[in-house]
Amino acid sequence: MSETEHAAPLPWAGQPYSIKRHGVSITNCDSEPVQTPGCIQAHGAMLVLRPSDLTILQASENTDQLLGCSAASLLNTPVRNAVGASGEASLKSFLAAEPTDRNPIYVFTLPAAGNVPPLDVTAHTIDGVAVIEFEATGRTDIGEPDYYALVKKTVARLQTARTLLEFCDVAVDEFRILTGLDRVMVYKFHDDGHGEVFAESKRDELLPWLGLHYPAEDIPQPAREVFKLVWIRPTPDVAGALAELIPLANPDTGRPLTMTYCALRGASVMYTEYLKNMTVTAGLTLAIRRDGELWGLIAGHHYSGPKFVPYQVRAACEFLAQVVSLQHQAAEEREQLVYRLKLDGVHQQLVAQAAQHDDLATVISGRTSLLDGVAAGGAALFHRNRWWRVGNTPTETELEALGEWLNDRPEFTSSSRALYVTDALAHDYPPAAAFADVASGLLCMPLSRFNRNLLLWFRAETSQTVSWGGNPHDKPTVPGPNGPRLSPRVSFELFQESVRGRSLPWLTVECDAAVRLRILLMELVVSRSEQLTDLNADLTRSNEELDAFAYVASHDLKEPLRGIHKYAHQLLEEAEGKDDEQRRKLNGLMRLTVRMDSLLDSLLHFSRVGRAALDTEDTDLNDVVSESIEMVDARRAEGRTEIAIPRRLPHAQCDRVRCREIFVNLLSNALKYNDKPRKRVEVGYIAAGEDHPRPGSPEGSSGLTIFYVRDNGIGIPSRHFEQVFKMFKRLHGRDEYGGGTGAGLPIVQKLVERHHGRAWLDSTVGVGTTVYFTLSSLEQE
Amino acid sequence: MPLTIPNPITLVVVEDTDEDFETVVEAVERSGLHPVVRRATTGEAGLAVLRELPTDGSVLVLMDLNTPGADGREALATLKSDPALKSIPVIVFSTSASPTDVGFCYAAGANAYHVKPVEYPEHLQLVVDVVDYWCGRVVFADTGVSRS
Repeated sequence: MSETEHAAPLPWAGQPYSIKRHGVSITNCDSEPVQTPGCIQAHGAMLVLRPSDLTILQASENTDQLLGCSAASLLNTPVRNAVGASGEASLKSFLAAEPTDRNPIYVFTLPAAGNVPPLDVTAHTIDGVAVIEFEATGRTDIGEPDYYALVKKTVARLQTARTLLEFCDVAVDEFRILTGLDRVMVYKFHDDGHGEVFAESKRDELLPWLGLHYPAEDIPQPAREVFKLVWIRPTPDVAGALAELIPLANPDTGRPLTMTYCALRGASVMYTEYLKNMTVTAGLTLAIRRDGELWGLIAGHHYSGPKFVPYQVRAACEFLAQVVSLQHQAAEEREQLVYRLKLDGVHQQLVAQAAQHDDLATVISGRTSLLDGVAAGGAALFHRNRWWRVGNTPTETELEALGEWLNDRPEFTSSSRALYVTDALAHDYPPAAAFADVASGLLCMPLSRFNRNLLLWFRAETSQTVSWGGNPHDKPTVPGPNGPRLSPRVSFELFQESVRGRSLPWLTVECDAAVRLRILLMELVVSRSEQLTDLNADLTRSNEELDAFAYVASHDLKEPLRGIHKYAHQLLEEAEGKDDEQRRKLNGLMRLTVRMDSLLDSLLHFSRVGRAALDTEDTDLNDVVSESIEMVDARRAEGRTEIAIPRRLPHAQCDRVRCREIFVNLLSNALKYNDKPRKRVEVGYIAAGEDHPRPGSPEGSSGLTIFYVRDNGIGIPSRHFEQVFKMFKRLHGRDEYGGGTGAGLPIVQKLVERHHGRAWLDSTVGVGTTVYFTLSSLEQE
Repeated sequence: MPLTIPNPITLVVVEDTDEDFETVVEAVERSGLHPVVRRATTGEAGLAVLRELPTDGSVLVLMDLNTPGADGREALATLKSDPALKSIPVIVFSTSASPTDVGFCYAAGANAYHVKPVEYPEHLQLVVDVVDYWCGRVVFADTGVSRS
């Protein structure tokens, strides 16, 4: 095995390894040749045969005690010298017929002889030799329990378990009944290799170890490798002696015997010392595998002397370990299926909700939110250039910086699984230490590659207390005969470590559900952006058509108009001295052409307002208003006029020129539609949240600064409040009140809309009109 | 100032609308100067007329922007990119006040841009002022470049 081969010179270099000779010189567990220990546990005996003629090649040094002949006398003789002629015959037919390679199977029982009890004989072949193991049967006269019935009952109980934990609880109970050991545990490996006692069944008086964690070093890598190959590892007498093979190397090949599959394989000194430190006197360990990997162990401990678990019981245990391996995954999957179905249900609801409201942000703000799915304390979404948050999340400033950092995560370049998952965010991203209380755990995925839309789930820090069996940070070295070496931990006192900056880990089922949600949302985003692209194309097209139309209006309609005006003018000149009626009609004709000309100009201007780009900057509106007043000053001079600004106006993010046009239009309307002897106009604002009536204001505008221009003019009947914003809508005769084209308010409305604001009015006939507008929307703020 | 009496100025009017052309003729009559007026109703025709005329700096173009066929914009661009013609002053008259049109014409090399008023007296006065100024006060370049 590769673990046994080492580049550095080892104490046994050049000769076969033997625990007895070299075991104490081990300096590093991970270099110990555990599969070729050279020794067996001395409660049994072993013969190594050449399969072709069943000649004994190697024998354990203790054969005289169990088989009645010394190893030396057996070597290089037929096996019948040890097992008799009938035994030899059994072995011969067995080895010929059974699938024995790396598969120890019971062959026969050697009857008791003298003070030696009856021995179970098991055999397997490996690397071209047959390995025969002899162990006391352990049977009594009382008769044998029905192991088949026991196993059948256990399997039935395991199948009823609804969760993984329930499953493991059943397993430890059943194993303890089967083996009679003092304590049986399910020992589960975490991703970092350390182990946790996940389930436990024990004699009442023993201290519970349930929930204790053990460092990864407690089960060295070579031991883990062995458990990928064999199901069971008996150590019936921790304090028992070791018996060395004679000779250590196979005389035919010169190679040491691979004992991986031997029940009697000698335990390493490290392992027995470890068990002794825990006052364990006998042990039995079984593997729990998942997909070929070691998922955990079923570990049995005995504290009251040796505990020989006979071959038949071990066979039943081995079978159960295989059942547990096959079914614990199913138990976990059953448990996760329920959760998975719930998550998928919630996520589908979220997608439907987002589609229905045509708004991705509803996954945060909707009736059903992300928090109804994956167990998390908070969630956030970066979408439409802002953060949407629900539950406990970092602040927007913190999210901003975190988002920047996340966008560079290499995980996000994955096309199939763009997902960043951590249960210790501050470990990867140190600034997260500041908000570890809400976001130690983060599950994050991008919803698009380019506009940095992110979806995040947060998990709070759990002040997790991990109880270690012994201080995991202690790695005491003690001087061995060949220099310092790692010693198995002596202290098994409880060592508690509180783990900071960590959340509960994210489950695979949660990550998978997140990935599926991402796919659904991205489909939604894509179809939405396709719609937007289409709409934009339509809008661009209709803008271009409007542009073309305005051009036609300005030129092709104006050209004949100019001709009409000209002829009317010439006719009028020729009609000098003719009757008044004809002159009146010609004058009317000319006046109409001029009016049509100004209507066309307004139309042209209106269409330009909608298309020209805004040049938005921080603007002092006081300057804008005073410029506007100067521009309408001509009207002021006509009558007695007062324009009041009760308090200084704020700054605003707007296009200065367009904003001036808004005020010019409103001021000029305020003065134009005014029949009072003393015209009074007020320009002011209502700050966001200010306690002030906001008549007619649209929903949401109370959170915004509202500007207004108020006059004491003729007023507008309430039924016309909306109509006056329509193009060319005039409420008065075309020559009354200065004869405007009716484009003023529509242009104001359009300019305001270009700033994402709204315009509306409130008015009382005969008292005056107030036009209100905003220069931004809540969405932007 | 040269002491010789200069050639009378030729006014090339590119204008498809008869009423507007008549206004130009009336304006020329009102002005004290009496340039020779030649009319073209399309941009191509206007360019053809220009290529027949002498190169002595006695030609002025009044151009309507929207004429049939190759419109005024195209004719203006062609004229101003032709080494033999580009020194001839081009005065644009247009119904359009669109900043796009104004910008285009100056960028293409127009020497002045005017929006035609709808009201006849104003229109007439505008053309009179233009003729008086450009034919009476402005010095043109004598390029001497032969016109093919």
